[in-house]
Amino acid sequence: MNYRIKFAKLEDLMYISHLEVIKTLRRIIRRAELPAAFSQGYNPRINLAIGPPLAVGLISRGEYFDLELEAEVEPEKLLADLNSASPKDLKFLKAVKIPGDIRSLSSLVDTAVYTINFEYEEDKTIVQEKEMLENFMKQEEIMIIRHRRKKSDREIDLKTRIFSAEVLEKNKWKFAVVTGSRGNVRPEELNRALKEKYSEIKDFSPLQVIREGVFVRDGEEFYPPYAEKFIGS
Amino acid sequence: MQYKKKIIENLYKISSPERYTGNEWNSINKEWTQQRLKVALAFPDVYEIGMSHLGLKILYHLINREKNMLAERVYAPWQDMEDLMKEEEIPLYTLESYHEIKDFDILGFTLQYEMSYTNILNMLDLSGLSIYASERGEDDPLVIAGGSTVFNSEPIADFIDLFFVGEAESLIIELLNEYKKLKAQALTKSEILKKLNKMPGIYVPSLYSEQYGDEGEILALNSAEGEKKRVKKQVVQNLDQAFYPTDFIVPYRDTVHERVVLEISRGCTRSCRFCAAGMAYRPVRERSVERLMELAEKALKATGYDEISLTSLSTVDYTEAKKLVQAMTEKFSEQMISVSLSSLRVDEFSVELAEEVNKVRKSGLTFAPEAGTQRLRDVINKNISEDDIYSAARSAFENGWSRIKLYFMIGLPTETMEDVKGIAEMAQKIRDIGREVRRNTKKKMRRIEVSVSVSTFVPKVFTPFQWHQMDDIETIIKKHDYLRDNIKGRSFSFSWNDPELSRLEGVLARGDRRLSAVIASAWEKGSRFEGWHECFEPRIWGEAFRENEIQPSEYLRQRGEEEIFSWEKLDIGIPKSFLLREYKNAEEEILIDDCRFDDCHGCSICGNFEVDLELVGGRNNELQN
Repeated sequence: MNYRIKFAKLEDLMYISHLEVIKTLRRIIRRAELPAAFSQGYNPRINLAIGPPLAVGLISRGEYFDLELEAEVEPEKLLADLNSASPKDLKFLKAVKIPGDIRSLSSLVDTAVYTINFEYEEDKTIVQEKEMLENFMKQEEIMIIRHRRKKSDREIDLKTRIFSAEVLEKNKWKFAVVTGSRGNVRPEELNRALKEKYSEIKDFSPLQVIREGVFVRDGEEFYPPYAEKFIGS
Repeated sequence: MQYKKKIIENLYKISSPERYTGNEWNSINKEWTQQRLKVALAFPDVYEIGMSHLGLKILYHLINREKNMLAERVYAPWQDMEDLMKEEEIPLYTLESYHEIKDFDILGFTLQYEMSYTNILNMLDLSGLSIYASERGEDDPLVIAGGSTVFNSEPIADFIDLFFVGEAESLIIELLNEYKKLKAQALTKSEILKKLNKMPGIYVPSLYSEQYGDEGEILALNSAEGEKKRVKKQVVQNLDQAFYPTDFIVPYRDTVHERVVLEISRGCTRSCRFCAAGMAYRPVRERSVERLMELAEKALKATGYDEISLTSLSTVDYTEAKKLVQAMTEKFSEQMISVSLSSLRVDEFSVELAEEVNKVRKSGLTFAPEAGTQRLRDVINKNISEDDIYSAARSAFENGWSRIKLYFMIGLPTETMEDVKGIAEMAQKIRDIGREVRRNTKKKMRRIEVSVSVSTFVPKVFTPFQWHQMDDIETIIKKHDYLRDNIKGRSFSFSWNDPELSRLEGVLARGDRRLSAVIASAWEKGSRFEGWHECFEPRIWGEAFRENEIQPSEYLRQRGEEEIFSWEKLDIGIPKSFLLREYKNAEEEILIDDCRFDDCHGCSICGNFEVDLELVGGRNNELQN
């Protein structure tokens, strides 16, 4: 039986890397004594497939992984078991049974939604902030230098990578950006691009950012990857 | 003070921030109540090394079990974190509560290898404490230390208030309770230390001194009036019933040993003459199969690990090794849990055991012949023959291993270039056996690989070789060059230790109190993490020795039979006469057998501790050879 499971990675675990999260999930599944299915071969491992990576230093309220079990477990019980064996800031939020042959999370998920708390040298009104964002998004292109580990820097255009943006409340902006196999935008890059245009924006700190979750873009709408249209067989 | 917010806000600037955040599964964050004694357990190396240390895991859980105490962990920050801490004025803090070290009553260091001594100084300094015990105040935490290099802790005697000599789980709770009681009586630190020094196994270095002659030799070891002359190490009686944790902390970051670690026995009486642990951890004590099975089951459940590692100084010498390994694989292989063995001997029985545990995941196979010729193996009392080695290798290849790791030492007493040549020849012969097996097998087998790892012999205290001189740099390099030239080709890989680093280890390993000043100078000049090859700067150490007018070669030379050694303030329970007899046996290539299966050789350990060997399988079993 296969399950698509939503989880949150919160403050205590913000500095845990993507690979460390996967390893931790496997250990939680063992501690929860769930009837996990194993991969075949030389080094058998619990069969799980996780969605697009979350950068080190960020917290998220909506990440996903698919898990295969040898026996059927009710989703409520599955969640309770996982949560009982998990550190308090790794929370399992939802489990949905899925067919075994549907599109994988990594091919499906293409959008990440971030909320960023902006800090300015001088206080802004929400009207001013809305105007700033509007002018930012009106630009023909939003070029930024991407620093890559062990590779040369590269210039990229954020404009095509931002699907939508809005000011939610004072000092709090929301961005929906591309993620996964079709590209990626780092919150630090958003902050940098904004700072280039508006120098009164303060330097970036990962504590200002929350990944609200990852989604599947369909037209103008964003759906969670467990929406019926993606898991119906 | 707690600095959590400031720390979290800044960690994204450095590499591997998860080294410094804690919050792991099974970590224990007890409430800081007034009546609790607060202990910071420190490991003077980075998180991923320290988290793999068994002794610290035992102490952490042992202390936290006590209602009136709490223990938290701290590891050495890597250079980027040290810079960040200095820039942001963050003092060294523990991973549980983020309290700074100064808030604790006790700061306890684990001593694992000499190359971590500068990290101890750095951790003291980052805590805002003076590195010198004599300069620390009444309100500063008591700085204590213990662990495997406590047997020669003299080079750091000036920095530490109190050493625990021997196996800490035997007496640590009593020590902490006593300290708490004395502290409540409002005694001064020096009064408290004097009282604690009355306890067995406790060594307060400030109550002892060394007297030197004109040539720099040690004339006498003095103890303050009324203090014991020598400090006897403490051992755990009945290991089977001794405390052993199962709710191990599960790190997020990759660490050296990410698995359930089960210590199946302690001590070894194989009597390899170079081996410090073999002398220091006697007598041999084993845990029962039943107890180990129970511990394994609990620990797997508590951690979610998929591997159990059975550790001891010599795993196959565990008297019920086969029964244990079979019971483990039978019980756990269905859950895809693998079992791994450390410290295998070079014989067919080892291969048989290794084959047994490889049902789930096949791990590498490592043998340690230690020396390349039979003559030299006899000198060091490594009781294995050429036949043992080659038949073990053949059996390993026949069982499907294609990659074998070999450990050797150079610089052993009486070694000549013939013996060094023997290392290369043995590696070649093992490769040839592998190729032959591969040619003749119908099974699919990967290309044969033999990796040869050569370390430089460092004479260690309380061993029969404590008198022996260490190789000089030129000799070490000559031997390395020979081996590099003769162990090459597609089937081989060859690795060796930095000769300068080995020499420094040699100095510290048989050092005395005069070296405290050298260590302090090297630390002031920025030396850290010497155990990490990329961090070691011989130039700094050279300057540190010169400034303090100390000749490193004085510490590496041949010692006289009558000489008084700095480390003889401690008593490991084995008389010097036994060690000297063994040194002479070495020179005459006389072998002695393991007293578990043969006659007693009079090391006196059993009598000195009023114990007997604790062997779960009894003295008569198939391991006799």
